[in-house]
Amino acid sequence: MSWDQVFELIKSILLTQTGIPNLEVGQVIMILISFFFLYLAVAKEYEPLLLVPIGFGIFLVNFPLAPLMGFTEHGDPELIRAFYKYGVQWEVIPCLIFLGLGAMTDFGPLIANPKTLIIGAGAQLGVFITYCGTLFFGFTLKEAASVGIIGGADGPTTIYLTAMLAPQLLGPNALAAYSYMAMVPLIQPPIMRLMTTPEQRRIKMRQLRPVSAKEKLLFPLIATIFIILLIPAVAPLMGMFMFGNFMRECGVVKRLSETAQNAMMNIVTILLGLSVGATMQANVFLSWKPMLIFGFGLLDFIICTFGGILTVHIMNLFLKEKMNPLIGSAGVSAVPMAARVSQVEGQKADPDNWLIMHAMGPNLAGVIGSASAAGMFIAMFK
Amino acid sequence: MLIVSAPRTQVWAAFGEDLEKPKPEFTREGDIITAKLIPRAKSTSVSIQFQVSGGDLIDVESMDFKEAARPGVDNKDFKSELFVIKIDKVSPGGEARVSITSNFFTSSTEYWVFNPTSKEPWVNADAQNISLPDLVQKMTISVKDGGPFDSDGAVNGRITFEGGPKDSFWGYALGTLFIRFFGIFLVLSILMIGMIISGRVFQMLDKKKAKEILSQPKAPAPDIQPAESVEPELAAAVCAALHLHFSAHRPTTTPHFIKPEISPWVRQGRERIMNARSILTNRSNRLQNR
Repeated sequence: MSWDQVFELIKSILLTQTGIPNLEVGQVIMILISFFFLYLAVAKEYEPLLLVPIGFGIFLVNFPLAPLMGFTEHGDPELIRAFYKYGVQWEVIPCLIFLGLGAMTDFGPLIANPKTLIIGAGAQLGVFITYCGTLFFGFTLKEAASVGIIGGADGPTTIYLTAMLAPQLLGPNALAAYSYMAMVPLIQPPIMRLMTTPEQRRIKMRQLRPVSAKEKLLFPLIATIFIILLIPAVAPLMGMFMFGNFMRECGVVKRLSETAQNAMMNIVTILLGLSVGATMQANVFLSWKPMLIFGFGLLDFIICTFGGILTVHIMNLFLKEKMNPLIGSAGVSAVPMAARVSQVEGQKADPDNWLIMHAMGPNLAGVIGSASAAGMFIAMFK
Repeated sequence: MLIVSAPRTQVWAAFGEDLEKPKPEFTREGDIITAKLIPRAKSTSVSIQFQVSGGDLIDVESMDFKEAARPGVDNKDFKSELFVIKIDKVSPGGEARVSITSNFFTSSTEYWVFNPTSKEPWVNADAQNISLPDLVQKMTISVKDGGPFDSDGAVNGRITFEGGPKDSFWGYALGTLFIRFFGIFLVLSILMIGMIISGRVFQMLDKKKAKEILSQPKAPAPDIQPAESVEPELAAAVCAALHLHFSAHRPTTTPHFIKPEISPWVRQGRERIMNARSILTNRSNRLQNR
């Protein structure tokens, strides 16, 4: 073999089998973006359970020639593509996450005060306004619906709906949803103060009635019957959510409930985060659309908070016992952060006012409300 | 701002491939051609049947909107995109009637025709929209050979009919928006009523149970026999025996006595003395040493 041939071979190997000559500017930018999200997750502890795998997924897929998100010569999916295809595309992972969430949820505050379901519905206002707003910017109807649901502040619901309607927006939608959920303590308080007077913030609510174990056991069955009969399209999400809750409340399958809450949730969170992050390759992500999505996502959260508080004001016109309007912002279903924000703001107005359990009702109602909104969109496009 | 001012079709192009573009598949059964496609804003496929009377239906093809794009006409209004219908064996200058049937259409669906040779390329065909059973709508349009809807423009016994079903995009978007948003209120209100009723039932049952418990006669107190009197010497002997038994099972680790304000040398010396003493005073060790 001559030296020329050797150099040719080395050059061919470098060009076709190593990443350095194939690295593009867009990929470098995406790697830097991944570092930013990892910083938010690790240093600032913004939703680390999801932003760490998402950030790392973005980091991994933006290396050139890496066999992660493509298909083999035989048409089989590569590693992260397999997680994405069988977990996200087949809608399995978001439903399993809802199973785990249901197993972690205590619906006591909602059962004790069912009126707060209306707050959960009102807090979906931003979903529909954002849906309309994005249409003006050239988003298709399906894309607009997937961006609108970000305001529901429910990660699995956002991922479920986006994967179904607009999978090309999965990455930016999920990132926007989880980033803004982590920023709820920053986003909500100014709106809460703007929409309430100091006197309204000092409203004290009567202690919630005790809820028996039997009521908590029957709630998932009753809720499933009503919701799925009215919105069949939401059956996968709501069905799994209520199944998880039933396992928790029945008390006879503690092992299953604990597994759903812990091991299973952790496994699917890792796979989901990696898959979602891996959809953000440079050639897909670096365009105007993700920036618009981030902008609309913030607007969505703001309007949803506004909608929840407005709903309480309207309900107070008809109620003898007024509700503290601060609990309206908890209709944004970032559980339990939004409820904590209501508690903190309530205590700023009156240190003796304990709103957290009252705010948990609309917080949980928001989960049902955002899933219902997703079901409405799915039915709309069927 | 640049994005807002740009026509929507151009904005779409700026965002990449039009992923929702329908891709119809055509099949023929006798003189009916059926197009099966997934229209924009839907996830499931629909069928559109094409039939002609007064001529022979030769072919139906799909047409890219880019070829027919004109100012004031929005692609989003044509959810099933455009079709080119080719009709033959029409009497020259005569009329053929084109019927387009689908359960995807509504009573407000219109059929718009594109004729590039005409002064106004896009025209509403004023189709006769008939409602059939099972939510099927049939649109019937009369097309004249060489007339305004014939894009070949010639009186030659052949008609090329280009166009597509049109629904108002904003009408659909806003209409369903209100229905869906208030639908959520409706669903959650129904759930709320169900929960209020079940809550009241449970509270009634709990109250009933509490009343039953209160109204039940109190059970007699069980007989408690007085304890036997024990001599003090016997009690003391038992206590000492128990103490010796449990102290024999104490762990053999020796306590360390540390006074932080004393110098390390003194501390170490004291520890060694106390450890040695505690070994001597530990009964179990003494028993083992024996």
